[in-house]
Amino acid sequence: MFEIIFTGKYAKYNLGAEHPFSPLRMKMTLELLEALGEKVEFTEPQPVEPDELFKIHSQDYVEAAEAVSDGKEIPNAEKYGLGTADNPVTEGMAEGARYICGGTLLGAKMLIENKAEKVLQLGGGLHHAHYSSAAGFCLYNDLALAIKEMTQNGMYVAYIDIDVHHGDGVQEIFYNDDKVMTISFHETGEYLFPGTGSIFELGNGAGKNLKLNVPLEPFTEGESYLEAVKKVAQTALSQFHPDAIVIQSGADAHFSDPLADLLLTTQDYEKLFRLLIELGNNFAKGKMLFTLGGGYSFEAASRIWTILYLVLSGKKIPKNLEIPENWRRRWSGILGVELPEFLHDRPNSYKAIPRKKEIEAHNRDTVRRLLDLSTAGMFYF
Amino acid sequence: MLLREIMHTDVLTVSPDTKLCEAYRTMHERKIRHLPVLDGEKLVGIITDRDLRFATSKLSEVPFDPEETVQNVMIKKVITAHPDDPIEIAARIMRDLKIGSLVIMENGKLVGIVTGIDLLDALLALTGVHRPSGRLDVRLSDRAGELAKLTKLLAERKINIHSILTYREKDDRVRVMLRLNTMEVRNIAEEICQMGIEVVWPVHVSCLR
Ligand SMILES: [Zn+2]
Repeated sequence: MFEIIFTGKYAKYNLGAEHPFSPLRMKMTLELLEALGEKVEFTEPQPVEPDELFKIHSQDYVEAAEAVSDGKEIPNAEKYGLGTADNPVTEGMAEGARYICGGTLLGAKMLIENKAEKVLQLGGGLHHAHYSSAAGFCLYNDLALAIKEMTQNGMYVAYIDIDVHHGDGVQEIFYNDDKVMTISFHETGEYLFPGTGSIFELGNGAGKNLKLNVPLEPFTEGESYLEAVKKVAQTALSQFHPDAIVIQSGADAHFSDPLADLLLTTQDYEKLFRLLIELGNNFAKGKMLFTLGGGYSFEAASRIWTILYLVLSGKKIPKNLEIPENWRRRWSGILGVELPEFLHDRPNSYKAIPRKKEIEAHNRDTVRRLLDLSTAGMFYF
Repeated sequence: MLLREIMHTDVLTVSPDTKLCEAYRTMHERKIRHLPVLDGEKLVGIITDRDLRFATSKLSEVPFDPEETVQNVMIKKVITAHPDDPIEIAARIMRDLKIGSLVIMENGKLVGIVTGIDLLDALLALTGVHRPSGRLDVRLSDRAGELAKLTKLLAERKINIHSILTYREKDDRVRVMLRLNTMEVRNIAEEICQMGIEVVWPVHVSCLR
């Protein structure tokens, strides 16, 4: 069974009108689904209390975040990554982030209690939030909280991160944990934020060889991306056999994303979602929790997450499915940009990349080196 | 960065009459390759795993017996450095003389040791990514105030610089690579372009064609 989690309260996590991590993206997605005739029924989560976050964040960090969010001045906000260009302080943001955490946590509970097989949390995915600091638009790590809930209930969990940025916060929080495998596919940190996510970051202690990173070349296209995902995720999951998979479904690897340099199309995303579901069905008893994530071309992100919803609900997506006029007119007015006529990208929508072959070869080498490294001493299961 | 910041201060040493087999065992067990030789507090030599293996190898013309002492095998002219020497001096000496370690002396006393591996650690500390950051790569004209223009803008945008690497390119321009604590490097890169500075990365932003 497929469950949706959402509440309008997520919008309290609002980092300012000009900030790219905008709650509008969820609104656009929901309205697009409705415009396409989908009746989206969702369960509304409660926010978590600040002290529930101590499982994954330091107490002093949570207290600092709550204080600034309440408008209080604190002396060392910088130390906690608060009040920076990426993580400005806005009133109520901590409460908003706790609603988001509550949503992802609710998803975890649905899987633990067998109330759902697949869950789509229409928000969250704050994968850059670290144990003791905010970073990269992320305040509280909803993903880590959900994963922790599952491992504390005896589950082994695989975390797959398809956001274009390295899932550094989640990786850090479970770096020594043998119940959590993390796999991140991202544009190489040599160029892109946050800089980490090299193949040599394999975990530590009991968690050794359970943290996998696939840093891809800038301008990587869908075919090469999907080849890497298939090879690495299949190899890893077939040996780890998790009880559930948590997926951070960032949409910022799309070619139109203003913050990064990968070149996935909506068609690639549809294939990617179908592939991940197949892997989940084969290796994780079908239990999967999807969250949103990055995605800063608002229109591309809302189309991609609409596709995620349609795929999860078992629908076929017609090649030329048109986007209803009312949605386009409304959001075109709000955003002040032209919006596409179709749900899927049109062919040849970005300029051909002259270094295509070189990029593909480089990515293949990366995957080979990663698997050599990680299988050398690895997989305990 | 000074040698004082990267040197090992808990230095294992041997004396001139330590047996070769004992020196070998120490190196093997402690996973080290260099042992300074002290006579009391006085530095009189250094012995490396390579010297030891050559000296005792069956392939040597007259192999040393493992029971013989270190003083007959050690190198007596030890190359040393001062803790306040910068690491680039150490790198230069070790590269030129092709040696694997430098003994660090202060006031005539041995206070530390630095090996090639420590220099690699230093390189990583200088160039590595230690906090979440994105890359900005620019070319500057080689004149006063260019970098200042850049850093002033970053400060105004509340963007913190985690590291700066720079080197001179062939055409006498200065390549500067920065790691910035922001996801939105492109935004700031566009502004930098407007100021007439060439942006190498992110490429889409290069407004100077
Ligand atoms: Zn992202």
